Amino acid sequence: MIWVSWRRQRPQLITLLAMLVVGAGVVVLLRSSMLDSITSSGLTECVTRTTQECSTNKSAGDFRAEWSTRLQLGQAAIIFLPVLIGLFIGAPLFARELEQGTHVLAFTQSVSRTRWMLSKLVVALVPALVVLIALQYLVWWWLTTAGVMGPRVNGSFQVFNFGIEHVSPVAYTLFAFAVGAFVGVVTRRTLVAMIVTLGAFTVLRFALFDVVTRVMTTQREVVTSGLSPTASRDASLVISQGYLDAAGQPIAPDKVGAAVQACKATWTPEGQQEYVACLAKSDLGRRYADFIPESQAWQAHLVDASIYGALAVLLLVGTGWALRRQS
Amino acid sequence: MNPLTATAVGKRYRSRWAVRDCSFTIPEGKVVALVGPNGAGKSTLLGMAAGIVRPTTGGLSAFGTPTAGRTHPDVSYLGQNRSLYHDLTVRELTRAVGSMNDRWSTDRVHEVLGLLTGVDHDAKVGTLSAGTRTQVAIAMALGRLPRLLLLDEPLSDLDPLARDETLRIIMTEVADRGTTVVMSSHLLTDLREVCDHILLVDEGRVQVDGDIEEVLARHRILVGPAADESSVEGTLVSATRTARQSTLLLREAAPTPKGWEGTEPDLESLVMGYLRASRERRR
Repeated sequence: MIWVSWRRQRPQLITLLAMLVVGAGVVVLLRSSMLDSITSSGLTECVTRTTQECSTNKSAGDFRAEWSTRLQLGQAAIIFLPVLIGLFIGAPLFARELEQGTHVLAFTQSVSRTRWMLSKLVVALVPALVVLIALQYLVWWWLTTAGVMGPRVNGSFQVFNFGIEHVSPVAYTLFAFAVGAFVGVVTRRTLVAMIVTLGAFTVLRFALFDVVTRVMTTQREVVTSGLSPTASRDASLVISQGYLDAAGQPIAPDKVGAAVQACKATWTPEGQQEYVACLAKSDLGRRYADFIPESQAWQAHLVDASIYGALAVLLLVGTGWALRRQS
Repeated sequence: MNPLTATAVGKRYRSRWAVRDCSFTIPEGKVVALVGPNGAGKSTLLGMAAGIVRPTTGGLSAFGTPTAGRTHPDVSYLGQNRSLYHDLTVRELTRAVGSMNDRWSTDRVHEVLGLLTGVDHDAKVGTLSAGTRTQVAIAMALGRLPRLLLLDEPLSDLDPLARDETLRIIMTEVADRGTTVVMSSHLLTDLREVCDHILLVDEGRVQVDGDIEEVLARHRILVGPAADESSVEGTLVSATRTARQSTLLLREAAPTPKGWEGTEPDLESLVMGYLRASRERRR
């Protein structure tokens, strides 16, 4: 049975293999040429540290101008790969059989419908995941070489970095694939399945973006007014920030706005002392920031993956059920 | 255990009943001609017998096992659209179908394909002619070594020579393995050669069910004067009347009255009579 599924899926598998080979070749070549350019312009130090010199240096500027678009394209490839797998492998997997009536051939042999479905799923999904993980690793390796001169300077919580790291791409792929398979069985139309997959995936990715960070526990950092919390300057994800009153409760933003407006009058170019003192008098003595440190990004990825993974499992169970009901 | 039993089976597509309240039993070893006008429900009936169409009411059982949701291991089905994997070669297809079956004989498939002229084992199924595809599909069905063979329009896209070949293969299968066959077709002359049982469906209902010889013996065709039909006794199935004479198809007819000429119908005129009657009823 696995042989049948493999033989039927062969064109897609060859395409995947070609993508892997071409993708790997491109990344390896680009990375080595980038590495050359880093060493030849003497920027090796700037890969690991953001120093004053690195941000003003002309060759660093040239490097960024030359490489940032290419690095972002590498990220984009991993961002889009899950939905492409859903569209071109997940959606047609069953829809095409039902559309062309070839499912009848399998359904009238002695293999059970569930086994038929599972073998098709495994043969289509496992190679796609392997290729995805390989390309994800290659792009990560390339981005790491650029270090803080590349997109990674924005930290793990930045939208494009988050979407291509840890288990998130795998979970997105599972979800996109499962939507495609399920809608394909229900509607029996490849084109409809592809359109719904694209729509559902895009909507969910936008809708669920802050849900992940909302369900995680945050840490609170408190500083005196006039200073800014370190969390808002490093790669941590700041969920909310503002001022605390004497009881340690966050103050409503409109009250803060009024007080800050009132204190603006005391502000002088020489120093902030009077401005800060004014804020303290108006009960705005302390600032806070609720944040998730970058070191906990892996937890956010696990939450993310469990949401998408659970949806994918539900959809695949639904696919099996719909196939058994198919008549 | 009978190869196929239908108990008040019905199938509704949205508001239209394709098959309604059908009950019949097909005894072992029969070659059954399933006939009826277009849209009579023949394909739906065969689909339900194969387990790929779910009945709305009642049910079918093959060798005593209900067929809904799965194909009985002893049943092979040839669908009207001959579902085959078009991107595989004949050889690959044989391997594919074989790997989807617990009981399978590649030798049987090769034997059947060997009897057919001009099937290239390394040709893609999609490049074959419609007729050859049908023959390949029949070979696949026989590879399952079935005890009941369900064929939906097996002769429809075959040229006369290929039709002859295919019928011969089916007949050999029946003779060698005692397979029960149910085949739907519009080609009544061909059916007459191979079938010994008739199941006539119309408007989703069984109209005639029985051994062809008996069914024919139960019917009479009477030709007589158009003016006076009062002396004719029996159940009138259909009639064609011209100004001068009437031709009547009767079931359970009494002895031929005076002035009329009575003959036993052949299969073709019997089926034609029923089809004509159904068309007139629908009008």
